[in-house]
Amino acid sequence: MIDKLRRIDETRLEVPLDYKKGMRVPGIIYVDSLLEKELELQAVDQVANVATLPGIVNCSTAMPDIHNGYGFPIGGVAAFDLKEGIISPGGVGYDINCGVRLLRSNLRKDEVIPRLKDLVDVLYREVPSGVGSKGKVRLGPDDEKRILIKGAVWALENNMGDPSDTERTESGGHIEGADPSLISGKAYERGRSQQGTLGSGNHFLEVQYVDEIYDEQAANALGLFTNQVTVMIHTGSRGFGHQVCTDFLEVMERAAAKYGIELYDRELACAPFHSSEAQDYLAAMRAAANYAWANRQCIMHWTREAFMKVFSSSPRALGMSLVYDVAHNIAKIEEHMIKGERRKLVVHRKGATRAFPPGHSELPVIYRHLGQPVLIPGDMGRASFVLLGTEKAMQETFGSTCHGAGRVLSRHQAIKMARGRKIWRELEDRGIIVRSAGRETLAEEMSDAYKDISAVVDVVHKAGLSKKVARLRPMGVVKG
Amino acid sequence: MKPYEFLDISGDAGIRSFGNTALELFLNAAHGMYNLIMDMESVEKSETIEVSVTHESAEGLLVAWLNELIFLFDAHGFIGKEIIINDFFFGKDITSSGPVYSISASLSGEHFDPGRHHGKLLLKAATYHNLNIRNEDGRWTAEIIFDI
Repeated sequence: MIDKLRRIDETRLEVPLDYKKGMRVPGIIYVDSLLEKELELQAVDQVANVATLPGIVNCSTAMPDIHNGYGFPIGGVAAFDLKEGIISPGGVGYDINCGVRLLRSNLRKDEVIPRLKDLVDVLYREVPSGVGSKGKVRLGPDDEKRILIKGAVWALENNMGDPSDTERTESGGHIEGADPSLISGKAYERGRSQQGTLGSGNHFLEVQYVDEIYDEQAANALGLFTNQVTVMIHTGSRGFGHQVCTDFLEVMERAAAKYGIELYDRELACAPFHSSEAQDYLAAMRAAANYAWANRQCIMHWTREAFMKVFSSSPRALGMSLVYDVAHNIAKIEEHMIKGERRKLVVHRKGATRAFPPGHSELPVIYRHLGQPVLIPGDMGRASFVLLGTEKAMQETFGSTCHGAGRVLSRHQAIKMARGRKIWRELEDRGIIVRSAGRETLAEEMSDAYKDISAVVDVVHKAGLSKKVARLRPMGVVKG
Repeated sequence: MKPYEFLDISGDAGIRSFGNTALELFLNAAHGMYNLIMDMESVEKSETIEVSVTHESAEGLLVAWLNELIFLFDAHGFIGKEIIINDFFFGKDITSSGPVYSISASLSGEHFDPGRHHGKLLLKAATYHNLNIRNEDGRWTAEIIFDI
């Protein structure tokens, strides 16, 4: 079936309308000839499946980090008309508002290296991670409801951060329209002890340094400079968001049958946007998104405290301000120009990052002239990137770009490849200190298990979906 | 016959469960999943809890059953070592509204203690991805993929 794909240009492949019966629009996959070799047939098929859903606008899009997902591919972007279209939990993913934030500092790499082991140990102690870990915040039922409505603002009200943090967070760190009454008892129970925890798997907290700047002016505006130490936090809504997704997949499966929507895959379960099922999901998803923004805010607060302990200086003196926070698993109502007409759409980004252009009204004032900061986490041995959103992304991909590297090895293959090796030692020899709760996590998460993040970022840069500002290299890694 | 095997898939975790009966398939799927989450050697049977799940389809029941066990671990840290299935309806027409799929079980195990137990994979949800339950010549098989 992959023979049917047509190369449009250096960075785009088309999944034509005749690829699969029932496609309403074509698919577009952003890959160059190098990443095309790693395309999975099932992921291409998923791009086509999404194109069959009612009310899809323009095309079913996938980013260069495309990977098999459940229903929708990971790296997928799909926008639906509010009248004719649907909303689907599968287009958001289980980890609602999984995302990334980047914290800067005034510290230089050479100032941190002598204290790096201490710093990583303190971070590992202060930020709960791994299987069965519990958060340090104790929540009563009312606290949890407040988090679901207020997101990161809740953390600010509890002295964990200041207003400049939420100003530099996508959607201000909380999205309106969350309804705690639609959340199941199970989701509340899972969420109660997991607020302020990193989780496991590919989630991480990384101490990094800026090793290359591609756009001096933009880097300056973001407060980034060469050899500067930064911290990246990658996590989401934990068990809470997963329970919301699990609960609503059941609701949506019944709804799809009720409204006569034909599904190629059970995990594409969806409902017409204006149905009560869809509106309930949207309100519950927003609650989970807010849970995630509070989570990253708490973790950032403890990160600042860890730096304060190790460097005996206040976070303010250390210049530890938030650069930005992005969601890469979310559905949002946005306005886009479609064939010369301004229309409201529900944009699903699953493993894709919003990348709004300079001048967009949803960007914080401090960054409005620049374009939206885009944060792309890589694997723990290679690099992460800071980019900026562009007008071209607005025109082609509903203002979206890639979200990460994407796996190439299964967990078992990675463990096999790591057998007899000491991954922590290999990393330490390269100056990277790692702490991990799980014995097998390091093997599963080693660099060899992932695509080269640089190749992924080069495609979105070349395609004009976002432009490179800086590259960050890991120094210290905390894994679950 | 082995009760289950682990599946090797990029990005996720999964098991293939077997059984001479549908009940055995469900039992083995639960044990297989627990072995993905935890090194089960160190888990003891110090507490028993009751679990009951109903669904309108076979696949739906398998997903709901495993999600119930994931919920008990993720919310309360409970991990089951011994599973006794007390009631099992698999497509029986016991009501006027159509066939019923349901399972009731007693789980004996204990709560996760990071000092004594070795956690493996943090499974977040059982999915419908590529899920089908087959009965070929009296041998039941199902593959289940977990989101992690």
